[in-house]
Order: sequence, then C-alpha cells, then structure tokens
Amino acid sequence: MSDLQIYLSIGVFAAVILAIAFDVIDMAVATLLGVSVLIGFDVLGEEDIIAAMKTAGGPLSLLFGGMVVARTLASTGVFDRVGTAYLRATRGSGRRFLLLLITLVAPMCAFLPNATTVILLAPVIVRVALALEVDFVGPLVITAIVSNSAGLLTLVGDPATFLVGSSIGMSFGQYLRKVSLGGLLAVLVVVPLLPLLMPELWRMRRTLPPEEPAKPIQRPWFAALALAVLGIMVVLFLFGEDLPTRIVPPAVAIIAASLALLVIYGAKVEPVDNVFRDIDWKTLLFLGCIFCLVQAVTKTGLLQRLSIRLYEWFGTELTLVALGLIAAIGLLSSLLANIPVVAASIMMVKGYLVAAAVVPEAAMSAHFTDWPAATIPVFVAMMFGATLGGNATLIGASANVVTVGICARHGKRVTFAGWLRYGLPFTACQLAVSALYVLALFHFMR
Amino acid sequence: MLLPAAAAILLVAWPAPSAAAGETLTQIKSRGTLRCGVSEGIAGFSEKDASGRWSGLDVDFCRAVAAAALGDAGKVTFVPLRASARFPALQSRTIDLLARDTTWTLAREAGLDVQFAGILFYDGQAFMVPTASRVKAVAQLNGAVVCVEKGTTHERNLAEYFAGRGMSIKPLVVDSAIEVADAFLAGRCAAYTSDASQLAAVRLRASGGRTFRILPDRISKEPLAPVVRSSDTAWLTLVRWVLFALIAAEENGITRDNVRETARAAGVRRALGADAELGKALGTDPDWSLRAVQSVGNYGEMFERNLGSQSWLKLERGLNRLWTQGGLMYAPPMR
Repeated sequence: MSDLQIYLSIGVFAAVILAIAFDVIDMAVATLLGVSVLIGFDVLGEEDIIAAMKTAGGPLSLLFGGMVVARTLASTGVFDRVGTAYLRATRGSGRRFLLLLITLVAPMCAFLPNATTVILLAPVIVRVALALEVDFVGPLVITAIVSNSAGLLTLVGDPATFLVGSSIGMSFGQYLRKVSLGGLLAVLVVVPLLPLLMPELWRMRRTLPPEEPAKPIQRPWFAALALAVLGIMVVLFLFGEDLPTRIVPPAVAIIAASLALLVIYGAKVEPVDNVFRDIDWKTLLFLGCIFCLVQAVTKTGLLQRLSIRLYEWFGTELTLVALGLIAAIGLLSSLLANIPVVAASIMMVKGYLVAAAVVPEAAMSAHFTDWPAATIPVFVAMMFGATLGGNATLIGASANVVTVGICARHGKRVTFAGWLRYGLPFTACQLAVSALYVLALFHFMR
Repeated sequence: MLLPAAAAILLVAWPAPSAAAGETLTQIKSRGTLRCGVSEGIAGFSEKDASGRWSGLDVDFCRAVAAAALGDAGKVTFVPLRASARFPALQSRTIDLLARDTTWTLAREAGLDVQFAGILFYDGQAFMVPTASRVKAVAQLNGAVVCVEKGTTHERNLAEYFAGRGMSIKPLVVDSAIEVADAFLAGRCAAYTSDASQLAAVRLRASGGRTFRILPDRISKEPLAPVVRSSDTAWLTLVRWVLFALIAAEENGITRDNVRETARAAGVRRALGADAELGKALGTDPDWSLRAVQSVGNYGEMFERNLGSQSWLKLERGLNRLWTQGGLMYAPPMR
C-alpha cells in the first residue's frame, strides 16, 4: 500500500465515522460510499474484500441466525409470555426492571454470542418497557452494553477475548482464574452508574394492572418446535465445538436459522418470505461494509508497526504498556470492529515483547504457549480494551448496531450522540476499573 | 433496497486481480525506496561510517536488490536493528527485506512466517579469547564467563554445546551486538562467542595494542541469509534471484567493470537472466540483474571488498568460494 493509499484509507474511514457521528447521512449509505471510494482507488482489492468477508462471516452469520430464530419465536406468542413474567417480576419498579435486565443478560452472554442474545431478548425488553410506559431505548442500550461486558466472564464469551486467549494458549480454566473476576467487575460497575445516567427510569414506580390469566398459545405444536430450535441452538452454542465434527457458533446460527425456517414452512403459519422480509438487512449490510473499511485500515499496517515503537517508548515497562493498551485499544475498538483490531494488536504486542527480549523470537510463532507470567496481564489488558471499548459508540460492537436497528424498527432513532451519552460514561468507568484490575494482576503474578 | 445496491457496486467495481508482482514490490515502487533491516554495526556486514554512509556485505546486497527492483542502488533506507527487533520489524512491515547476518533455521522459517531467500554467507559460531590467554581450544573454557548477545541463536548453541559435553559455562548475556563487544573488550568475559566473521570484525576494534585470537573450533553451522515475509512469494522470488544473479555473474566472469560492455552479448544476458519475459515475470524489466551487478559487483567482488583481501577483516572465503573452486556458492540456471 502506497503512502497515498494509507492516507486515503485513514481519510475515508475518518470521513465515514464523522458523517455518522454528525448525522450527515444514513450510516449504511455512508459506509457503502466509503467502501466504494476505496474500491475505486484500488485500496481495497479482491483479496481484501474476501479477507474482510472471512472476518465478517462469523458475526454476520450469528446475527442472521439470531434474527431468523427471534422472528420465528415472535410468531409463537412465547415472547408475550416471557414478557408478562418479566413485567410481574419488576413489580412496577424501574430499578428492578434494570437490575433484572442485567441479571438476565449477563449470564446468557457469558456463554452465548452477544448480538444473538440481544436479538433474542430485545422483543421481551421492548414489551416490558412499553408496559411500564417508559422509553425502551435506554434499557436496550444497557442490554447491549451488559452483553458486551459479560463477554469477558468466560473465554468463549466474546470472539475478541477468545482470539487473544487462544493466541497465547490460555485454557478455559486459566481464564476463569485470571480474567473472569475482572469481567465481573466490569459488569458490576454498570449498576452504580444506572441511577446517575437513567435517574428517571431508576426512580420510576408504576402500579401494574391486576394479573390476568395468560392467553393460551395459539399453535402449541408450532411454539414447541420453535422453542426446540432455540434449545438446539443454545445447546450447540455451548457444546458444538466439543462434538466429533466441530460446529462453531456461526455455523450453529445458520443451522438454527435453517431449522426455524423449516418449522415456519412446515407449520404453514405464514409464508417464509415474510420472515426474510423482516430480517434487518440494513444492519447486516452496514456491518459488512464496516468490516471492509476496517480491512483497509488494518492493511495500512500502522497498528502492527507500533511494535517497535512500543519498545522505544516504554522499554520493558510492561505495566505502562498494559495500561496504554487498555486506553488505545479501547479507543480503537470504540470506532472499529474489535475483531480486526485485536487480530492486528496481537501481532503488535507479540512483536513488542520479542523486540524487548522479554520472550524469545519463537514467541512470534502461532504455536508458542510458554508465556512468562509477567506478560499475561498485557494480554488481559488487550481483552479488556477490545471488549469494553466497543461499548462507547453505536458502531463499536455488533450488539450495538443490532440494538440501533431494533430501535429503528420500533420507531425510535438512536443517533451517534444519543448512544455516546450512555456509552461513554459506562466505557470510561469500566476501562478505569479494568486498569485497576490489571495492575492488581501484575502485582499478584509477579 | 440497500442490499441490491451493495451487490451491484461490488460486482461492477470489483477490482480485477492485479497482474503485477507481489505486494511488497508494488509498495516499494510506490514509495520509491527499499527499506532494508541491517545490524546496528557489524564490520564487514553492515556498518555506518562517520559520513553516514553504510557499507558491508548485507548493505551491498540491499543495494543490489534496490538496483534490480527500483533501477537505482541508492534508493535504500537502511534500518538499523538489534537482534531481538529484526523479526518484529519484518512482520510489522517496518522493513521490506531483512539482511542482518541472520541464520537460516527450520524453527524460524516454520514458526515465524518468514522465508530465507538463499545463503549469502556461510559462517559458524566460534570463540575469541585474548592472545595472551592460555585457552587454545573450546574445551578449555569449562567454567569460564563467556559473552554472548541476547536473542540470537548463539545463546542457545552455547548452552547446548557445553551442556551436551557435561561442561559448565557462565554466559554473560548482553542486549546488543555493540554492547556485547564492549563487555568483552572491557575484560568482563574470558571469551566472546558469535559468528566467526563477527568476531573478526570485533577484533578490529581492539585498542592499546591488545590482540585476540579466534579459536579454530566451530560449534554450529550458521548459514546467514536475507529474509522476507512468507506472505509475498513474488518478492521472495525476486530477492532470491538477485542473489543467484550475483553468484552467476562471478561464475561467468562478469564484473562491475565489464558488465556494461558485455551486456550486449546474448550469452551474458542469458547467463544473468536479463530477458524481457523473465524481467516481466519478476515484476521488473529486462536489465534487472545487469543493474544489480553494475551497482555492487559480482558475489566475489562483494566478498573481497567487505570481508576478504580488500577489507580490514581479511577473511578467507572458505565455504563461500564458488562450487567450481571447492566452495558452496552455486547459482541455479538463470533461464
């Protein structure tokens, strides 16, 4: 890539982000135009778009699968049942509504893909919010933020976390011992901020109408089959990778979507075309384009080149490097999809550790696992930065983009600034707590 | 409505696969300079003089590649690197080519996602001691303090060699090539271990009438080779064949001085792969190899100027002689 193309990549990306941030143009159109410009100037070639689609394939499959399954369940009346139960559990209290939401979302997202969880829970949350006569945008934003943060609870909770962990050969158990507590703190830090950022909802009290007998499910067999599909999806998410034929989460989502469509077709409840019509194609397209733009930014190699610079700036001060990474990767992940950011950062950090002679040059090999204890907090810092940084803006994580799409479908437009109002304070506090956790980790692993 | 629009744009505007050579060569041409990673200062291989001019075998090789790829041997930016930073610099694309007396090993090629272009210099790990020392062979270094550079193959070879023979050693591991030489010359170690060529270079720095002796034993094979990223095989091919062209030039008696006048002869052009089709296949032009030889001379000239009889090091060519003269230097047919 020539210097001119590097400037062009950064310029186009910045222009797209600014256009979205200042609401100049529809965000999908902005990203599509950005990709077109980069293709036109030969910054993005055939291989780049294939590489971008390879990276985007997983997240897009998870979203598509989640959307189809959620749309199928919506036809069964199951969401009404769950929504009613949730509403009763709130007892009309905004505080209970938010706390229950965190309690519901966090454990699910520790094991299930974040954006898929948001898609599945959103219909329930919207129903409860409408019943409580409150704006559903705030609770949905919290859902996305908690889902992203809860991805830190386990090694498999977030693709970015998994990418970093697997790059250093970290096992599920090692992750639980060294990182999960930090993830829990990142989720818990949301709670004390709720009364400050959503004071009206937090203090809100409503008198719920008397409980009515639940409406019978119209088509019990259809509902049972749709729930069975959901069950298969969850089970495969949890155990699919342990099967003799390994089934990765994106494949699980596609399998579940296929089964859900089969159920719709077989039950003859409605035409399959109706389901396709209700898929949020705009969100999928937007994410696809974002991945192409990020591919162009990654291709500049600017991030990877920092490996030598990091050594020149910080020497072997790993603590400073880790704190710098939380801030820098947090910032980058708020603007870029965190998976490519993390992929480039892993190379950068490994290169830095080799250049600083903290580890041997063999550490640059994908098979190296003999990482000294002192280097682990550096990688943990990357996990926190990448996962939590995405909470800041509406384009920072696929769960955020999905949330914005769901709000739009319910007639509520979420702007860049509107998201930032909640996202920025949450992210700043979560990253600060993460920094303290990483410092403690350095202390105890010394 | 956006999806069809996107599909249309991708289909219509989808760029055709580039017919040009690899990504690295494209970047170099666009940038107008080759970024070559070299040592921070090893006499004979890569060293910068007071006027800021670089010289050495590795430096000459970088210039030859620049001449072939860019048409000008002067279009090289030399990036001095300590040993531990060389592979991160290559992987992070800080440099396009690594020519820093780097040993070709299986672990590096298989594990670090790099490719070695070919052997530029056959070396071996040796030991240097003060001439006044009673040590005449490596076996007599049992229990001694030995200076060694951090992050190099020498460090591991040293440990394995002595452990394998039931002997002990006290390695003094120092960060960079310059610092390790300083430590040895300051008398902090009984011996200094590195490639024989590097030891010869350090020996030149001795002051105050002190002299040093390189022990005859070699504890390893150290084939030093230029390195590129494995992701760009087209670039690897060009770098590799520049090296072969320099060797082929010596095989055919083509020198820096006579290459221009002999270049018209079909036999000479054929011997150096100076051909329109081959140049195109490499992403350059027909004269790529002629320029390489004209800029730095053939392999023998490079060796003599930097390491051999015309240099301060006065190294024997040894294994670095042509195959026709009992050495290992051999160029495949350039056709």
